[in-house]
This record gives sequence, structure tokens and C-alpha cells, in this order.
Amino acid sequence: MTRQGDRLLTAARAVALPILAVVVWQLWASNLPADSNVPVPSVVLQGAVDLVRSGDLALAIWISIRRVLAGFLVALAIGVPLGLSMGMSPWFERNMDPVVQTFRMIAPVALVPLAIVWFGPRGTAAVFIVAYGALFPIVLNTIAGVKEVDRLLVKAARTMGLKGRQLLRTVLLPGALPSVYVGIRIAMGLAWGAIVAAELTVGFKALPTAEGGARFGAGGGIGFMMFYLYDNSVSPDLIVVAIISVGVVAYLTDRILRYIGRRAMPWARL
Amino acid sequence: MADRHDIFATGDSASAVLPGKATIPARLRMRDRFLSGNIRATLRYFRSIAAVLLVWHLLALWIGNHVLLPAPDRVARSMYRLWAGGDFIEDYLLSAQRLLTAYGAAALAAIVLGVTMGLNRIANEFLDPVVELLRPISALAWIPLWLAVLGISSTLPYFVIFYVALFPFLLNTIGGVRGADPLLIRAASTMGVRGSVIVRRVVLPDALPSVLTGARLAMGGAWMALIASELIGAPNGLGFSILFFGATLRTSDMIAVIAVVAFSGYLTDLALRLLQRRLTPWKA
Repeated sequence: MTRQGDRLLTAARAVALPILAVVVWQLWASNLPADSNVPVPSVVLQGAVDLVRSGDLALAIWISIRRVLAGFLVALAIGVPLGLSMGMSPWFERNMDPVVQTFRMIAPVALVPLAIVWFGPRGTAAVFIVAYGALFPIVLNTIAGVKEVDRLLVKAARTMGLKGRQLLRTVLLPGALPSVYVGIRIAMGLAWGAIVAAELTVGFKALPTAEGGARFGAGGGIGFMMFYLYDNSVSPDLIVVAIISVGVVAYLTDRILRYIGRRAMPWARL
Repeated sequence: MADRHDIFATGDSASAVLPGKATIPARLRMRDRFLSGNIRATLRYFRSIAAVLLVWHLLALWIGNHVLLPAPDRVARSMYRLWAGGDFIEDYLLSAQRLLTAYGAAALAAIVLGVTMGLNRIANEFLDPVVELLRPISALAWIPLWLAVLGISSTLPYFVIFYVALFPFLLNTIGGVRGADPLLIRAASTMGVRGSVIVRRVVLPDALPSVLTGARLAMGGAWMALIASELIGAPNGLGFSILFFGATLRTSDMIAVIAVVAFSGYLTDLALRLLQRRLTPWKA
């Protein structure tokens, strides 16, 4: 077979199952009684167009992105210095490692009710959850990164009289950066799961109209919007739209991070 | 004969003959160092945790509100009460059963699918796009849809755990199977070994380290999925207990449950790590 024909066949195979699934789902769901809660693909598409046009979806995603970024900045501000000091000082690492390992075992989602007690049923609770979840991959990868820095480079820099902050800025930090960056990417993957769960649970506690004036509770973020859609029985079709957009945003975030990583750290093979 | 005996007896006779200070303490010191290495690590662990508890206690005294932050001794009493009363054990067993059932199902599905996708190019071309489409969507995002379809129900956690555990397991199995030494496979088929036997005796053992890495990642995800799905969409279980104690402002009970969950997560990871050391000793 020709090369082009081969490629066409591969492409056909790639789309075969998804298309088949959607068609079967459409036929099955459109024949169910009208009061069933099963989403229908054609209605999902209508809902997507509607949500995108009205701007509700964009608002909800924007609110969630802001929270993820805020949580991330907190995690970076704590995680990188902590990881650097643990990587540089064996004494500090010996004493700090049990603490990190112990708290790492706590799933961030399990802390949502505690965060609500502390911060109230607001966005801050969700930011806390993202920060907690993102902290550990960042800390552990920063430690590993510092340890991976070529000892010879450190010695050479010391010989040339570099000390303290200068050594950190010119040798240790650039050397550890690729590993820190891997931690950031892992953390970002976790963050999108965490933000949805946090906003969903916060939604349980908040009044459905507590946040924002937009339709479908979009002012509370994408997770809150999902909860609103469920809680007010608006439509399961719109929930599917929200699920898909979470996947798309998570995927795009990773692509952007990968792009930034390649541009910012050409010396690291990523 | 006598000479040989001497050679065999070197260590003891030497230490008996010499004044002793040179040899025996040296050997003892080595054993000491070995023993105290473990003991010291354990002591260090408890010292660090004790420091955390102290800071926590002082913070709790300073805040002075046990709803916001209960002191450690209060949480310890909660812990005792939880295990003394029967309800919590019921929730614990229920959650454990959900976790293990869904995790087992995901493991089975992942190994079957992973071996198929790893060995068969056409199957991979059909299935890989589906995996790549579903994988970026966090399983926790599916919870509201399951809620809308099923309502708050005991079956919801199974779906969520299965979904979360499937992907790390599957991707690591595919990777492991693809990484299996083609020379070994060809050698086996040259010697007339049947396909299914090759899979079982050659491919899977070679893929095992990667599969076990996937198993550990999947277990971590499964715990998170369990807690999240019970927190939001189930009427019982550990996640529900956390939500319930949070909603009724019994913060110390809530922290006790969170600690139990974290420790159980640690135990399952430890079990998988031991399995790893047992099955793939060359990797550990």
C-alpha cells in the first residue's frame, strides 16, 4: 500500500471509535424518555454553542484559571525556597524530610472541608487546596534538581569565589531549573483536578447564588458551575460541556508549559 | 589440618589473643553503626514529628478556638473515640471495599488493554486516540455528571476510582510492553513458544517494573478519587465522614479521619513498594 493510503487508514482508525461511540450514544440517548438525565450529544453541541456565545463558559474558566495561578504562585513561593534549602543542607533535609513525607500523604481533596472551616465557602478555600496539592511535586523536584547539579560546577564556582546568594543564582538555580519545571508540570496536572473538586465541594456549602451574578453560577469558577448545573437540574448536557472544557483547558495549559519550558531552558532536554 | 583450622578461626582467635581493644570494639562498632542507623532514622522521624506537634499545639493555644484548630491531644481523643464507636469502622470497611474493588477492576482492564495496545499496532491505532481524548479530563470533573445521572449513590465512587486508576496503570503497561526486549520475544518464538505463553512468560515479566510503577501511581490517584467522590457524591464512607464532621464543625473528628486516610494511603503504598522489592528485586 502507498504511504499516503497508509496514513489515511491510520487517521480513519484514529477517529473510528470516538465517532462510533458518539453515534451509538446519540441513538441510544435520543430514544430514552424525555425526563431521563442522560445527556444527548446533539444537545451537548447546542449547549456548547450557547455557553460559548453567552460568555458564561469563558468567565467560569477564567475564574478557575485565576485561582489555579494564585495557588500555584503560593506553592512556588513556599516550595522552591524550601526545596532549595533542603537540597543544599543535608542537616535541614534530614529533619524536614519526615514532615514533608508525612503531609504529602494527605490528599488535597480531603482538606477541602477543613479549608472551608478556615476560609469560608469562598474561592480562597479553593486556592488553598491548589497550593497544597501543587506544593509537594514542586518541593520534591526542587530537592532532586539541586542534588543533580554537577558537583564539579559547584566546586569550580566556589574556587572562583562565588558564595551564598551568588552561587545560588548563577549555578544552583539554573542547574535545578529543569527539574523544578518537571515538578511544575506534574503539579499543574494535579491542580486542574484539585480546583474542580474544591469548587464543587465549596459549591455544596455556598448558596448557589453566592458568587458572581453570571448565569449558571459561572462567577464561582468551572467546578462551581458544574455544581450549579447539577444542583438546579439545569441540564446534564451543559455539565458535559463543562467536563470537556476542563479537559481542553488542562491540555492547553500543559502545551503552553511545554512551549515555555523549551524556550526558556534550551540547555535542558525536555 | 591444624593450619587450616587456624585460618578458619582467624577472627575469633585473633581477638582472643590480642589485648582486644583493637579488634572487638571495631567489629562491635560496625554492628553498632548498622543498628543505630535504623534507630537513628526512626528517632529523627519522631523528633521531626514531635516538633510539628509542638508547633501545632502552640498555634492551637494561640488561636484558642478548637473549631478552627483543635490541639493535638483533642485530635488524639477523637481518634480513640472513632475507633471505639462502631460507625466509623463500618465506613472504613466500606471505603476500603470500594477502593480495592475499583482498583482491581482498573488493574485488570489496564493489563489486558495495555498488552493488546502494546503488542498490536492496529489495536493501538484504534484505541490510543480514545485514551488521549479521555486522559486530560480529570476524573473528578466527571463527578457532577455521574451525580446528575445516578444521583447521590453508593455506586458513584466505583466509576470515579476506576477512571482515575486506569490511565497511569494503562500507560505504564503499554510502555513496559513496548520496552520488552524484542530479542527475547524473537528467541522465544523461534523456539516455537506459543503467542499466549510468550505474553505470559516473556513480555509481562519484562514489563513488570513499569507496570508496578503504574500500580503505585494508580493507587495514589485511587485514594484521591475515593475521598473526592465520597465527599461530593456518596451517602457514606470516609470522604463522607470528613464532609459530615466538617459540616457539623467537629474539626478534631475531621482531622482524625484525614489522618486515618493519610496513614492508610501510606500503608497501601508501602505494600506496593514491598511487592515491587519482592517481584522486581533488581529495580529496588
